[in-house]
Amino acid sequence: MTPVAEAQRAASPWRLAWERLRRRRAALVGAGIIAFFVLAAIFAPVLTAISGTGPDTTDKRAIDPYLGGLPRGSAGGMSPQHWLGVEPMLGRDIFARLLYGARISLTVAFSAAVMITVIGVLLGITSGYFGGRIDTVISRFMDVMMSFPSLIFMMALLSVVKNVDRVMLLIVVMSLFTWPYIARVIRGQTMSLKHREYVEAARASGTSSARILLTEILPNLTGTIIVYLTLAIPGLIGAEAGLTYLGVGVRPPTPSWGQMIADSSLYYKVDPMFFVLPCSCLFLMVLAFTLLGDALRDALDPKGSRG
Amino acid sequence: MTRRTCAALAAAIAATLTLTLGACSSTGSGTSADNGKGITTEGDGIVGGTPVKGGTLNILSNQDFSQLDPTRNWVEPEMDFGLRLLYRTLTTFKAAPGAGGLQIVPDLATDLGEPSDNDKTWTFHLKDGLKYEDGSPIVSDDIKYNVERSFSPDLPGGPDYAKQYLNAPAGYAGPLKGQRLGPDAIEVPDSKTIIFHLKRSVAEFGFTVTLPTFAPVPIAKETGANYSNHPFSSGPYKIQSYDRGKSMVLVRNTFWDQSTDPVRKAYPDKIVVDQSLGSAGIADRLIANQGDDQSAVSYVDLTPPRVPDVITNPDVKSRLVSENSGCTTMLDMNTSKPPFDNAKLRLAMQYAVDKEAFQSAVGGPALADIATTFLPPALTGGTAVDHFKIPAAGDQAKAKQLLSDAGYAGGFSTDITVSTGAKQQAEAIQAALKNVGINVTIDAVDASSVNSVIGDKNKQTGLSISGWCPDYPSAATFLPMIFDGRTITDTGNQGDVTRFNDPAVNTELDRIAGLSDLTAANAAYLALDGKIMDDSPAVPLTWQKKPLLVGSNIAGAFANPVWSGQLDFGAIGLKSVK
Repeated sequence: MTPVAEAQRAASPWRLAWERLRRRRAALVGAGIIAFFVLAAIFAPVLTAISGTGPDTTDKRAIDPYLGGLPRGSAGGMSPQHWLGVEPMLGRDIFARLLYGARISLTVAFSAAVMITVIGVLLGITSGYFGGRIDTVISRFMDVMMSFPSLIFMMALLSVVKNVDRVMLLIVVMSLFTWPYIARVIRGQTMSLKHREYVEAARASGTSSARILLTEILPNLTGTIIVYLTLAIPGLIGAEAGLTYLGVGVRPPTPSWGQMIADSSLYYKVDPMFFVLPCSCLFLMVLAFTLLGDALRDALDPKGSRG
Repeated sequence: MTRRTCAALAAAIAATLTLTLGACSSTGSGTSADNGKGITTEGDGIVGGTPVKGGTLNILSNQDFSQLDPTRNWVEPEMDFGLRLLYRTLTTFKAAPGAGGLQIVPDLATDLGEPSDNDKTWTFHLKDGLKYEDGSPIVSDDIKYNVERSFSPDLPGGPDYAKQYLNAPAGYAGPLKGQRLGPDAIEVPDSKTIIFHLKRSVAEFGFTVTLPTFAPVPIAKETGANYSNHPFSSGPYKIQSYDRGKSMVLVRNTFWDQSTDPVRKAYPDKIVVDQSLGSAGIADRLIANQGDDQSAVSYVDLTPPRVPDVITNPDVKSRLVSENSGCTTMLDMNTSKPPFDNAKLRLAMQYAVDKEAFQSAVGGPALADIATTFLPPALTGGTAVDHFKIPAAGDQAKAKQLLSDAGYAGGFSTDITVSTGAKQQAEAIQAALKNVGINVTIDAVDASSVNSVIGDKNKQTGLSISGWCPDYPSAATFLPMIFDGRTITDTGNQGDVTRFNDPAVNTELDRIAGLSDLTAANAAYLALDGKIMDDSPAVPLTWQKKPLLVGSNIAGAFANPVWSGQLDFGAIGLKSVK
């Protein structure tokens, strides 16, 4: 490689990865977008206090009742009062609803991502390291979960269960069907790692299995886990939006991007801005995580990037 | 109403509003529909002129028929569909727009009924040559049998006029187990005569027998709760195929004789109902008006998001049938359970609800007026009665004060059941109630199961949105049907959905029913309307129009004034048959 690589030879693997990542503009753009949305979601109450309208406040003056509640003014009713316009019919502020919607989307996606990582790594590592009967049982279980018609099951479950925190339920239901994907990857990696000399040496010297898993194998899986986590989040954001679009996600009036897209699809012709805004947010968010995830994989996985 | 162009109007309204933007109070007064802004059918009320015979009429729908069993059919537009196409009744309404459609004419019967014994006994004679879809004759006992079916608890949900009026033994539970009514209630001296004996005098019984309860059902074709899948036709069409929730195909009933039927014109050869669509998709297809959709009509109201598309496009607007539905849309409170068993709390709801926001959610002032009492203007002499004189956007301060008087100063939580398509209406209610501390959870269920959820004692939520339409132009088909506590049933409860049961109201209803002077009766109903408003089992929300789009090849499309402004299927057809 280039002389730059010479200079880095002494650096730690993490530093190496960071250097590689920094040189990828796409990754930085992705990270920037993610940071933007995360900050927007965290500071949603502050930002809506500045803009002056909360997510559930209806503004009848911003809509034209005679035209079926279409926002007054151009571009979906954008005005100094409503920076990104208002929703038709009820006249709720789109800016505020997008911010609060980001909270739901991100909370659900991040929590579900953490859950699938914990479950997936735990079961994957156990199954890969111990092998034999344990592996058979866990692998078959994963096969069952993966071949399950998960979308139909989620819709059925979410429409049957009532009086439960929908956000919590979304997280649990989505995690339930997504963990086997990461578990499989972890299992495969663990199987190859456990035959490495240092693991065999540790085992020969009488180290306990738990200790080997935690100190020898897990640190070597960190890269894979981080990459997988980053790539799983856009899928989860999309899944949340999809379920909400189908009417089984968070309940109104809680704003969420999926819900806004579902509502706006009725207005795509007469009020395109209402449709464009939540779709763009969803698109940007998914794109950002995908870009970052791709770059991270290249940076952390030596085989992939150095080829 | 004066008709002006909408674009100019909208601009004018926008201008007024910009000027008064500083005053942030309700804009309701400026935009109320009495300024002549409501959209109605253009021309003489009939879209497309006179139809020709033949061709296929397509009906685009987003839901299965909830009931086509004549005994249980008490929902619009199913009643219109059934009565015009599949079964005939003793008398029926003329197929004409406007006031003409309010008149009754003999259908199966030779006349409008012969009253005797101070209107307590009504005799009807059947015409000659009446046949079912298999060619067998229609006999008077079949009508008696169907009336008996309306007493059956296994066949709930239908009009209960027969139960309320007929001199039937207490506890009679229908004919499904073989028990028939005796001659004290219904006499059938021969196959062409039927005599009804009523508990009290009913001067309007000639109107009552327009209801599907008074259609013939032959005992041999009885299938109990499954009868809805294939009602045995006495009308101009019969069911060729019916795949519930997907499609229904009707073809001509060759045994139906035009000469016996003064009302139904039966223009199309075939009628295809597609039930698998979405309401927005239906509107889009009819606005686009391509291919077979030119010969299609909408079964469901124009969805509010498509209103701007229609009223700004003169060509599409000329294909819109839109007349007052005559119904009152209400926010019903389940008075049988806390918290809505508290009358003071219910009164607070009258002030808490923002009717203006709700009006926007059902299409705005172009398609709906704000309702100010239960009885629609058609039943109160043409002018709307405003009982409480609450501003259209509600009065939150008063609502909060009434809430704390009722012991709910801290607010409370409740649920509202609506169909999935009415989510925005529920959100309008939800947003307004949140302002006074009432947290509403929205339960959106499929349109075809809303009534069964609301009508079930165990499943009913605190709130629900429903409408009531008079069955014929008389207050006797309004208040007694929705506020007589003695009609409440545990399941399939369709009339008194608020489960409101006040003995004083029941007594007064009986007293008014006994009045022979119709003017006095109307005045008494109006007074009672105010009394019930004070008890407030429901909040009247809007008086809506029924906006229905039809394709460009549709002729004879007009709104039936009796059946909630629904297209009259008796006289609709195609302009040309290719």
